[in-house]
Amino acid sequence: MNILVFTKRVAATQEEELRIRDEGASVDLSKVPFKINDWDNYSIEEAVRIVEKTGGTVTAISIGDAESDEVLRRAIAMGAKDGFLVNSESVFHDPGVRSRLIQNFIQKENIPFDVIFTGVQSEDDQFGCVGGILGAVLGLPYSSMVIGIDAVEKDHMIIRRELEGGLQERIKITVPCVLSIQSGINEPRYVSIMGIRKASKVERKVFKAADYAAEAGPGIEVVQWAYPEKKGVATMLTGELDVVCGQLLGILKEKGVFQ
Amino acid sequence: MSYTLIIAEVRRGVFEERNLDSAGIAALLGKEAVMLLPDGAYQTGNIADTIVKVKVGEEVFLNPLNLKNILEKVFTARGNPDVIIFTHSSFGMESAAYTAGAFGFPVVTDVSGYDKERGVFLKSYYSDKIFGEFKANGGPVVLSVRSGSFKEFAAEKTATRVEEIEGVAPVEGRTFVEYVEEEKADVDITKADFLLSVGRGIGNKDEIPAYEDLAGKLKAVLSGSRPVIDKMWLPKPRQVGTSGKTVKPKVYLAMGISGAFQHIAGMKDSECIIAVNKDTEAPIFQYAHFGIVADIHKVRDKLKEIMG
Repeated sequence: MNILVFTKRVAATQEEELRIRDEGASVDLSKVPFKINDWDNYSIEEAVRIVEKTGGTVTAISIGDAESDEVLRRAIAMGAKDGFLVNSESVFHDPGVRSRLIQNFIQKENIPFDVIFTGVQSEDDQFGCVGGILGAVLGLPYSSMVIGIDAVEKDHMIIRRELEGGLQERIKITVPCVLSIQSGINEPRYVSIMGIRKASKVERKVFKAADYAAEAGPGIEVVQWAYPEKKGVATMLTGELDVVCGQLLGILKEKGVFQ
Repeated sequence: MSYTLIIAEVRRGVFEERNLDSAGIAALLGKEAVMLLPDGAYQTGNIADTIVKVKVGEEVFLNPLNLKNILEKVFTARGNPDVIIFTHSSFGMESAAYTAGAFGFPVVTDVSGYDKERGVFLKSYYSDKIFGEFKANGGPVVLSVRSGSFKEFAAEKTATRVEEIEGVAPVEGRTFVEYVEEEKADVDITKADFLLSVGRGIGNKDEIPAYEDLAGKLKAVLSGSRPVIDKMWLPKPRQVGTSGKTVKPKVYLAMGISGAFQHIAGMKDSECIIAVNKDTEAPIFQYAHFGIVADIHKVRDKLKEIMG
C-alpha cells in the first residue's frame, strides 16, 4: 500500500506570549520556536506501521517555506521513503487554497497512491479542513477523526472514528481514500538527532507551489487579528510559594473537599 | 429566497444540544432558518422556521458522502442558501469540510463570534491565544460553530413548518458498521467531588506517580486532558473534555492544562475551578475562579510538604 502523508511545520505557541502587529494585520511569530504539527506526527507513525505490515511506501509531503524541510527529514527518520517540499513563502489561510494546491500537485506530477493521510487539524489554525476538501475534490471517500485502523485490505479498510463522550463508530471505507488521523491513535516512535542526521542524506525533492496554484482565488480572507475577549474572573493567588500553596489548601477546605 | 441552512447533528436518537448554537448564529444572520434532519422522532423544539426531514436513517445522514447527495437535492429544490451551518463536532468538522470541497464553497470552522455590521466571523488560532476575523468572498459560506458560543441567541419560533423530502441511495465508498463503547473504567471521574486534573504541562510520564501521590494526599481523583491521554500517560476513561467525560465536581484543580475549548467544554460547569499554569496567557485562566501562575511541579512538591 502506498501512502501519501502531509506534514506541516507549525509555531509552537503553547507557552509563548503572542503579539499582534501592524494594527491587527499580522501576528508576530519571529521569536516563537517551530515544530512538527502534533497530529502529523501520529499520521506519519500510522502510515509507517501500515507499510511495515503490507509493504509499499510512505511519501511525506509538506507545503511551506524552505524551513519545512525539517519536518520532511523527521518523517524520513520515522520511516518515510521520500520527502517532497512544495515550496511557498506565503501562508495560505484558506484551507480550500491549500487543498486545491495539493490536488493540482498530485495530479500534475502523477503521484501514485492508495491512501492519503492528513492530521485532523494543524495546531496553528485549527481549521481541520484540508483532508475533507481534498477528499471531495479528488472524488474519494473520506473520514476524519480516525482513532483506529482495524483492518487493511486491498480494496477497503475498517477504521474507527472518534465521536464524543468516549464513543467511537466503526466504518468501512473503500481504497483509494483520504483519512484524517486523530491524535492518540498510536504511540509515535522516538526520533533521535542521529536519525534525523541520517535522513538528511536522503534527497528531498523541491517543487514550486506557484506551478500548482488553483485558478480561483481564496474563498475567505482574514480581515484582521484580535486578542481573545478577557473575561478575567479568576482571583489570582500571588506571593511566595508556601503562602500561595497555603491559600490553595485553604480554598479546598472552605469548599469542603479537603480536611 | 435567501435562507440559512442548519445541518442538525443527531446521534442514537438524540438531537444534540449544540444544535442550539447553530440556531443561535442563524438567528443573528436573520434569514429564514431551514433545518435539515434525518428521519426519526427527535426533540428539536421550535428553533427553526422550517424543518426539512430527509427520509434516510441517521447513519446515512451522518456520512459526508451521502450528505453531499442530500444537499444537492435541497439546493435544486430551494436554490443555494446564503450560509450552511454545522456544529463543530466530530460529525460537523468532517462534513463541513467535505461539503465545502464538494460544492466549491468557502469554509470557516470553529466559529465562536459573528459581527453582523462588518460581516466577519471570529475563529480561534493558536489554541485561543489569537482570533482571526474572517470574511467570505462570495458564498454560500460553510461554517462549523463552537458549542456554547451562540445558544443564548437561539429564539423560540412561533411556528415551525415541517417538510419531507425523499432520501438518497447510500454510497458504497463509506458505510457504517457499528458503534464501539468505551472500555469500562476502574473509577468514574464524573462521580468525584474533587478532581486533580493534569495536562501537557507535566512534561513526561515519569511525573505521573508524583501527581498520583498528590491526589492520594488530597483525597482527590486524578484525571487528565487530551494530550495526557493521547500519550497514554493516563487511561482514556480518565479524560476530561468533549471526546472524554463532562465533569461537574465541587472543585476542579487543573495543573499544567492550558485550556483548549474541547477541554473547557468538559469542565466549565464545575463549582470551583482552580488553575495552575506557568503561562500567564493560558486560556484556562479565563474560566477559572482561582489562578496561580507558577511551575506546577514546585506547587505539587510544596503542597505535599505542607501536608506532611
